[in-house]
Amino acid sequence: MKEFFIDGLRQFFDYSGFANCEPGNLIMIVVGLIFITLAIVKEYEPMLLIPIGFGIILGNIPFTDGLQVGVYENGSVLNYLYFGVLKGVYPPLIFLGIGAMTDFSALISNPKLILIGAAAQCGIFAAYAAALALGFTPMEAGAIGIIGGADGPTAIFISSKLAPSLMGAIAISAYSYMALVPVIQPPIMRLLTTPKERLIRMRPPRAVSHREKVMFPLLCILLTAFLVPTGLPLLGMLFFGNLLKESSVTKRLANTASNALIDIVTILIGLTVGCSTQASTFLKWQSVEIFILGAFSFVIATACGVLFVKIFNLFLKEGNKINPLIGNSGVSAVPDSARVSNVEGLKYDKTNYLLMHAMGPNVAGVIGSAVAAGILLSFLY
Amino acid sequence: MNIKNRILIFCIVLLSSFAVFGQQVSDLRINELLIANDSNYTDEYGRHVPWLEIYNTAYNSVNIAGCYLTDDTTGLSVGDYSNWYRIPTTDPTTLIPQRSSLVFFLDNNPLYGTYHTNFNPRESKTRYIALINSNGKTLIDIFYYPDALLNVEQSYGCYDDGIKTTIDENGKEISGIGMLEYFTPGSANKVNIGATKQEHLQKSDPYGLGLAIISISVVFVALILIYLMLKIFGHVSTRKNRKAASEANANTVAVAQNPIDEQHIDEGPSGEELAAITMALHLHLTGQHDEESEIITIESPSAHYSPWAQKSLVMKRVNRRK
Repeated sequence: MKEFFIDGLRQFFDYSGFANCEPGNLIMIVVGLIFITLAIVKEYEPMLLIPIGFGIILGNIPFTDGLQVGVYENGSVLNYLYFGVLKGVYPPLIFLGIGAMTDFSALISNPKLILIGAAAQCGIFAAYAAALALGFTPMEAGAIGIIGGADGPTAIFISSKLAPSLMGAIAISAYSYMALVPVIQPPIMRLLTTPKERLIRMRPPRAVSHREKVMFPLLCILLTAFLVPTGLPLLGMLFFGNLLKESSVTKRLANTASNALIDIVTILIGLTVGCSTQASTFLKWQSVEIFILGAFSFVIATACGVLFVKIFNLFLKEGNKINPLIGNSGVSAVPDSARVSNVEGLKYDKTNYLLMHAMGPNVAGVIGSAVAAGILLSFLY
Repeated sequence: MNIKNRILIFCIVLLSSFAVFGQQVSDLRINELLIANDSNYTDEYGRHVPWLEIYNTAYNSVNIAGCYLTDDTTGLSVGDYSNWYRIPTTDPTTLIPQRSSLVFFLDNNPLYGTYHTNFNPRESKTRYIALINSNGKTLIDIFYYPDALLNVEQSYGCYDDGIKTTIDENGKEISGIGMLEYFTPGSANKVNIGATKQEHLQKSDPYGLGLAIISISVVFVALILIYLMLKIFGHVSTRKNRKAASEANANTVAVAQNPIDEQHIDEGPSGEELAAITMALHLHLTGQHDEESEIITIESPSAHYSPWAQKSLVMKRVNRRK
């Protein structure tokens, strides 16, 4: 009886997390706790960092293999939920919600701002070239480069297709830098602009008719999807969501897509991406390289957006000029980068509100990054 | 719904059903054939018999169950399929995954199992094998083979899986079928595959510069197209707004000059105004109330309103004692 009792306790201990714990697990759990702290205390992207942070903790609780509890074990609950990430199901659903939430009026009223969204995609391809130089394969480099699009769902979608083994590091990197947009972008914006340029006042946007808003998603999907069919899942869902919103006859569907559905998918994607960062697969030198490349692509994307506006201004008449402080909004971190433009603009002129103007390139960045993702897929997949 | 709309919806459903059919068995192709099988692939009984490979060209699974295999299509026009081999519908293994193939043994022994047909090309008078839809009338694919195949132990089929015709260097259409170098029952006919897309890219664009330039150009082209579209939008919209504004101005001037015409311009009272007038008339005529707050609240049903949620419907009624 005594032996049975001792053996039972020993067996129980062998199954416990304490017996299987490795330093890597503890490091990752600390990372998860930092994410949660940042989200709660600093309010950096709490909707994303709390599910991801908690997912990191869940994914790094040590366990005995074969119990069907880990995210990488076939048949486990987390594995079923992770299926949506692995097969790229969640990102298009998030794009559906983004489409149903986004008002493209700023872009429709001032269409030249869309080109800033294209310029900011340079970060993706600069990071792609840098990743190749560091020895990553073209497919891995493509997946890493997309971090520069500052779009978490797109990064997950592309890495699920091109480099599933790096998905955890890429997703965490993309979401971390998206949360750090208010920290990364302002110094670059200040560095590349003159005090005079920061004071440029832009013309107020014109009113946009209901018909224009309805036509916009329809024509955009036809134009972009014919050009880059590989971007169809992302672009299709984005513009479909927007049509639900703008058609004004499908309010219930638009409400579901922009509230309940996107919330559910955000929870699932955040939690499972966090879970996928098991110490054994995540704590590698490659992950550090991915983080460095991610920061590099963010810097290049921001700089290209700002510089593009400065060059563009050379061809614009006085009164039509664009404030280069909205150049950073070309990355698709909606609406954080537009908010950064506004905050920076107000620092130099307390009555110069740039938010509405910055929303134009910001939503253009969403389209641009989805198009760029489609191009990468067509070349590399 | 009027008759025209019903006919339209019926036509759309009918067309979409054709599209569904188009993604199914019509994607199957006879891909490879070996007749003089003396020392090659064996069936599950260890026999060397002629075999035939059917390839699913689609990117979705296709079930071949119910289709027919034959070397004599004379009954095709009248749907006479008494002599054809019908692939059993009860075997779950007849589902062919995307871009995959299934092997049938043409041994004239259908009692041996699902994949054993009731004809043998060595005994047949024709030089073709046909795959026919389960309706017995639609020919899915017909595969002609030369007489030489009866005596030579070499497989005959598509060089590229499922592709029967191809374009040569001069742009001419040529046959994509011929004697194959390798025997590949149940696997891809093209054995020697060159460098993968990734390897090719790594070799031709080692620094990623080419891809970066092409990609950023495509992004710009896509967004410039949207820009042009929005420009046209804006132009048309501005013109319309101006026109509407000028018409409104003209009407205002006309009303000012001739006030009697005002009733023609005005669209009349809104629904709420009509409701208020009606209520006032009703109260006045019936005279049931002496004094009112003079505030009418019109409450529209909320988005969450449903008659199913009414208390009277969801609460259980209890009989009261009298």
